[in-house]
Amino acid sequence: MQIIPIDKIQISDIVKALKGNGLVVAPSDTVYGLLVTAAQQKGVEKLIRFKNRPPGKAISVFVADFKMMEEYAVLSDRQRKIITELLPGPFTVILKSKHKVSVLLESEKQTLGLRIPDDAFIVALVKQHGVPVTATSANLAGQPPHYSVASLLGTLPQVKKDLIDLVIDAGKLPRHKPSTVIDLTAPEIKLLRKGDILVSASKVFRSASPAETKKIARYIFRKISHDQQTPLVFILKGEMGVGKTVFAKGIGELFAIRKIISPTYVMYYEYDLPGKKKFVHADLYNLEDPSEFRQLQFERYLVPGNILLFEWGERARAIAAGLKKSAKIIMVEMKYCRENEREITIGY
Amino acid sequence: MYILAIDTSADETAAAITSGRKILSYISYTQILQHREWGGIVPSIAKRAHEERIDFVVAEVCRKAARYIKPQGGELLKKIDYIAVTHGPGLAIALEVGIKKAKELAIKYEKKLISVNHMEGHIYSCFVQNSRGKPAGEFQFPYLALLLSGGHSEIVLFEDHLRYKKLGETRDDAAGEAIDKAARLLGFGYPGGPAIEKLAKEAGDKDDYKFPRPMIGTNTLEFSFSGLKTAFYYFFKSLPDEEKTKKVRELASSFQQAVLAVVLAKMVLAVEQTGVKNIVVGGGVSANHRLRSQLRALAKKVNGRIFFPPYPFLTGDNAAMIGVAAYYKAQANVFADLNLLDRIPRLSFA
Repeated sequence: MQIIPIDKIQISDIVKALKGNGLVVAPSDTVYGLLVTAAQQKGVEKLIRFKNRPPGKAISVFVADFKMMEEYAVLSDRQRKIITELLPGPFTVILKSKHKVSVLLESEKQTLGLRIPDDAFIVALVKQHGVPVTATSANLAGQPPHYSVASLLGTLPQVKKDLIDLVIDAGKLPRHKPSTVIDLTAPEIKLLRKGDILVSASKVFRSASPAETKKIARYIFRKISHDQQTPLVFILKGEMGVGKTVFAKGIGELFAIRKIISPTYVMYYEYDLPGKKKFVHADLYNLEDPSEFRQLQFERYLVPGNILLFEWGERARAIAAGLKKSAKIIMVEMKYCRENEREITIGY
Repeated sequence: MYILAIDTSADETAAAITSGRKILSYISYTQILQHREWGGIVPSIAKRAHEERIDFVVAEVCRKAARYIKPQGGELLKKIDYIAVTHGPGLAIALEVGIKKAKELAIKYEKKLISVNHMEGHIYSCFVQNSRGKPAGEFQFPYLALLLSGGHSEIVLFEDHLRYKKLGETRDDAAGEAIDKAARLLGFGYPGGPAIEKLAKEAGDKDDYKFPRPMIGTNTLEFSFSGLKTAFYYFFKSLPDEEKTKKVRELASSFQQAVLAVVLAKMVLAVEQTGVKNIVVGGGVSANHRLRSQLRALAKKVNGRIFFPPYPFLTGDNAAMIGVAAYYKAQANVFADLNLLDRIPRLSFA
């Protein structure tokens, strides 16, 4: 067993390990996962031995994109529509298998669980590998998932450790739950396991931590079909401490902007986006009347491709009304439920 | 060496004329407003554009500096050596006004331009002298610079003139911002610092409520004040109304204790990690007496020296500190290119 830090490893080395029936422990967008090549019987057997998983219980797989998904599962137009809403993200969707992966991964109903993770590392890995890899959490059957390599290895007897070929160590992962499992083969969508993000028709999300709020922000951003022909404007409402700046950080992280801080004091900060575009992060907390809003001259940022995000958007109701024609508006309402629970409602 | 300095990074339109570390004249627009009783409240950034104030502010510092510099043919700016301006961090549209004015004057009077990081200014605010060169004292590098204001909270290693290394900063809200928000919640206006400090003192700086101290136990020099703000907000909301009024001093005191405990812990850690014992403290929160006495005790304990802005106005945004920082840039021949100089709203130390 080899343990290599994530910043030291080459993706090609992981692919090599996977090709040789290797069992790889790797970080994902949820928990540490166990990766083997999904089509290789030997690797999959090793995985099942490792997990003590009862035979007949399905194991889901990571695919890199929708194209790869279509190669391995049967999709109806309706399912395709739902999936493009959900993925990439922390969801496992259950679909009818095309039987191109090891039969040990499929359920008794010949379905297969598939994930497109919100995780650049896993996606790059699967893409380079060219075939799906397993996406099961790195714990023994019936035990809780692991958020650090130390915690995983600490619980394993030597015989189990011997089965692992390579461990990619990314330190402690944020405490995200495992993915939400959704069965799309049933006539009505069935939720098999609740993960971090709950979906519903009204676009209401529940967040249990700042990390989850960021994730929801990223998820929403990806889901908005936006053609970049207009600026994109987020209007955030919600009381103090509800996580508005955290939401802004989530959007910023999509563009590798990691230094977002509260703009309350100066009203707004601007950040560079690719292609000379701007991300404007504004906070209207200190705004006293609408004439002040006009003086801040946000209209000069209203160019296609720019993203504007207003905290305390309720203090400038007029913005939404005035912008409807020239911008795509996303209303985000954030509510405090409990100390570690927020409700986030999206409208667009 | 005479320098005209301009700072328009946030809500103050500020200018100063400095000579080395000495201030010859300084002005910022909010002070003028208060003096003239045009309202008494601090005007927000948006209410009056810096554009409306900048010419007046520059004219005023020139008029006031005429005691020290003899104008040439009625124009004092002809006798100025360099023009310094803040180019970040700050509000984009505000910074632009100062930069535009600085460029305009640089062209008109054929002067070289010096661009200054506003936070660099806050560091040098501890070394600004009055027109008679008080307080005296030389630099003894290196220093740990603690910068706490409404917009920033960071710890910087100040190795030598113009040599800075950021050791840690806030991940979310600035210390001053958290204090302002708590004060507003308790029913006090902007800026909230003095109100919180006064209430806390009346409560004997007690810590009845033990609010969370975010990141106090971590081994980094990063701050986070957002969680404290959130905890305070929801705790306050949950109180019965009479309690909110009755316990206002205790609430303010406990809140201030939480903020200062984190700041102090991080400074202890910074001294440990770097071995640097001399400390400078800048930004609005550096006006807090409780913070000052706690940091003085720390400096004494480690046998270091500690410096605060020597005059109250230097804790807030001002241009005198920009002029002094610019002086050391001029000495090192670090000038800005007139054609390339632009605002950098999120400018920060490396």
